[in-house]
Amino acid sequence: MDLLDYAWAGVLAVFQGPVLFSIFGLSISATIAMVLFGFLNGIFVGATPGLGGPMAMAISLPILISIFGFSSDALLPVMGCLIGIMKGATVGGAVPAILFNTPGTPDAYLTTLDGYPMAKRGEARRALKVAHFSSASGDTFSDLVLILCAPFLATLVERYLDLPEKTALLILSLSFIAAVIGGSVAKGLLSAGLGIFVAAIGTGEDFYPRLSLGTDMLAQGFPAVAVILGVLILGEVFRGLEDLARSGYGRPTLPGHAPPGPPGNDKIRHLPWQDRRPLLPHIARSAMIGTAVGALPGIGSTLAATLGHAAGKRRHARKAPDARAFGTGAPEGIAATEAANSAVSGANLIPVLSLGIPGNAAAVFLILAADSIGGFNPGPAVFRYNQDAVNPELIIAFGLFATMLLANLINWTVGGTVMRSMAIMTRIPKHILLPVVLMLTLTSIYVQETRMAALWFVIGFGILGYVMRRLDISPLPFVIAFILGGRLEETARQAYAATGNDPFFLATSPISAIFVVMSISVIVLAQYRRPTTAS
Amino acid sequence: MKPLLKRLVAAFGVSVMATAGIAADWTPPGPVKLMIGFRAGGGADTQARLIAEDLETRLGWKIIPEQVTGKGGLTLATALAEAPADGTVIGMLVTESLGYNMAAAKTPLTPADFTALTTTASFQMGIVAPASKGWTAWDQMISAAKDGTPIRFGVMSPKLADLAYLLGQSQGVDFNIIEVKGGKAVLDGVTAGDMDVGFMAGIQTNGVAAGDLVNLASAMSRPLKQTPEAPAIADLGVPFDADGYFVFVAPKGLPDEAKTAMSEAIAQIVNDPESKAGTMIGKAFGGPAVISGDDLQTLLQDGYDAAGGLLEAASE
Repeated sequence: MDLLDYAWAGVLAVFQGPVLFSIFGLSISATIAMVLFGFLNGIFVGATPGLGGPMAMAISLPILISIFGFSSDALLPVMGCLIGIMKGATVGGAVPAILFNTPGTPDAYLTTLDGYPMAKRGEARRALKVAHFSSASGDTFSDLVLILCAPFLATLVERYLDLPEKTALLILSLSFIAAVIGGSVAKGLLSAGLGIFVAAIGTGEDFYPRLSLGTDMLAQGFPAVAVILGVLILGEVFRGLEDLARSGYGRPTLPGHAPPGPPGNDKIRHLPWQDRRPLLPHIARSAMIGTAVGALPGIGSTLAATLGHAAGKRRHARKAPDARAFGTGAPEGIAATEAANSAVSGANLIPVLSLGIPGNAAAVFLILAADSIGGFNPGPAVFRYNQDAVNPELIIAFGLFATMLLANLINWTVGGTVMRSMAIMTRIPKHILLPVVLMLTLTSIYVQETRMAALWFVIGFGILGYVMRRLDISPLPFVIAFILGGRLEETARQAYAATGNDPFFLATSPISAIFVVMSISVIVLAQYRRPTTAS
Repeated sequence: MKPLLKRLVAAFGVSVMATAGIAADWTPPGPVKLMIGFRAGGGADTQARLIAEDLETRLGWKIIPEQVTGKGGLTLATALAEAPADGTVIGMLVTESLGYNMAAAKTPLTPADFTALTTTASFQMGIVAPASKGWTAWDQMISAAKDGTPIRFGVMSPKLADLAYLLGQSQGVDFNIIEVKGGKAVLDGVTAGDMDVGFMAGIQTNGVAAGDLVNLASAMSRPLKQTPEAPAIADLGVPFDADGYFVFVAPKGLPDEAKTAMSEAIAQIVNDPESKAGTMIGKAFGGPAVISGDDLQTLLQDGYDAAGGLLEAASE
């Protein structure tokens, strides 16, 4: 099979895969239905302040697995649904930002600066259309870059990197993630180190279970789903509950929640071309910034939005001094922000698919899905096609690309309409939302793990996640290090053995030596950057 | 029973319980959890999942496959030993897990803590190199090693690491032995150029047929079916071998009717060359190898008892 055959097989796997149901003799593929379901769900959670894409992905993953099972047929429907949620949430985040000055997702904060002033002028509908147009454009661009780059990068890695270099590359990614995520380098390293430590429990090459304190409960290691959902989701819920308790229960809406603008007198049906044209340069610039930022693991969409907005602001002030400035309700401001934060979602799958390294929470859940179901191990081996045997992983990879393009198609066609109907979500009070999330998370973990120990683990890691948040330590390096810890150990052991037990295997080849030097310098250099908030 | 199947079974010199049909009077009291001791995506995992699928379609049993990997199958064995012995939890391992690995790990568990159900196939354990290396026979690799080329030898278990070490000793070369998880990882490593040669237990069949891979030697007491001319490990001066089977086991104390029903159901599926699992086993492992009942229980115990010899030889 050559590459085009694989691409076509991937598309067929999406459209002719397992059938969910059929109406009037027309069978509906489960993957298509799940992408649509995930996308609508994503807009829904994105538009709900306090919820977000990662949270929805986390809760739905175990439920989806229990529906679709562990066979490799389940990969595309489950991962398609998660991708749909990821994309939908990016679009949905702009809704409350524009209408109520409350970002639905953290990366939509900058959308409030221009979106809410537009809504106050009575141009809410127009602002939403601008946000959707920019978001969908940025997202589509980013996906195309992913599809072109990931196979290329993976082939490059396979061809030129030997075991010591692969080890060094993992070390570099971990140190980069620890250095750039969160408030300080020390806290990032602490978080990542803790993640590697937890990954070391109950694993390892020896027959004796490591660090298990002689207990059977720890001998199997921690179930990945309990660790990740505990730290990322329960930690967030616990912190939300405490915030709620401090600010007094039962407040109907969130603090900082502004009244909605006057009812729209801008009953435009389509955004006219003369409105779209001035947005295009901003969208193009921000899409490129977002894609570049997304391709680096760990930086995330908030920084992409900040950079996109700042670049757009400078340019806008110089090129169009007479137009409305950024921050006073300029549609260009919304475009620059939304295109940038949406362009992150496709590009952050570049390191996932080509190297197996997750860069943000959404990618963490995609890797978790692949690990739990089995039959697809994201990494450079996926894109190998020089054998005569069919490589089923490559078909899945192209299937994933097809689901992303499908999600974009849904976004372009119905996304805008659905998005504009989501204003109601902002009114859900947190004291109802958080317990529901808590219960859903615990239920979904029990569904997948079916042992009580998993629930104790998840609550334990939830408390850890809460403490980390209180100490302003980002939990994301912890989770990513937890996922990569096993691979790092394995690759390092293999590199050591392969070089004839050379303890300095990281320093002997030029490429790995460069990676190690880069790992150290990224830590050193990050000390001098100005502090940013955790994303 | 079909004559073809009889021949296959006879060819392996193993006994199969007479099966007039699958014992219909026993059905599992609920969904059956099938613990799989191998990484997802490899040959063993595929085999287990296909058997699960065939069990579901043929008998209507609900099978839930689950990966329980690590510690050379001992993670699975430990979990399985504590599971209820009512037919709701079974596991798929290799005989090595209950033999060498269990003995080497010094766990309190022995094969007597499990009910042996049936084996499905034997390994076609070859020592395999990529064709791109240019070696067509074992001696060419050894002379390359003696000329100073470092040889990276991929193995997927501590037992095989011991065998590779002993092979190096007997041939007078030092291999750089890389232990990875599962035969698929060895295949990936050899294909990607991270390893020069490695043990593969059947996953190499397609690659060898296509000319991408070469079976340099058999790691078994008998020749490889695909490459009968390759020397066996005993010919290379190592008095141990990597003979082994994929095996289904249940916790100790499984009622006899459940034991019979389950082992017969699995044996029928793997013995049927038309079933999905049977087709796959025919392709990857050269046909089924079914041993069940007391014979299997004895085989497992013998493997456990014999593990000491290899452990001693390799630690000298």
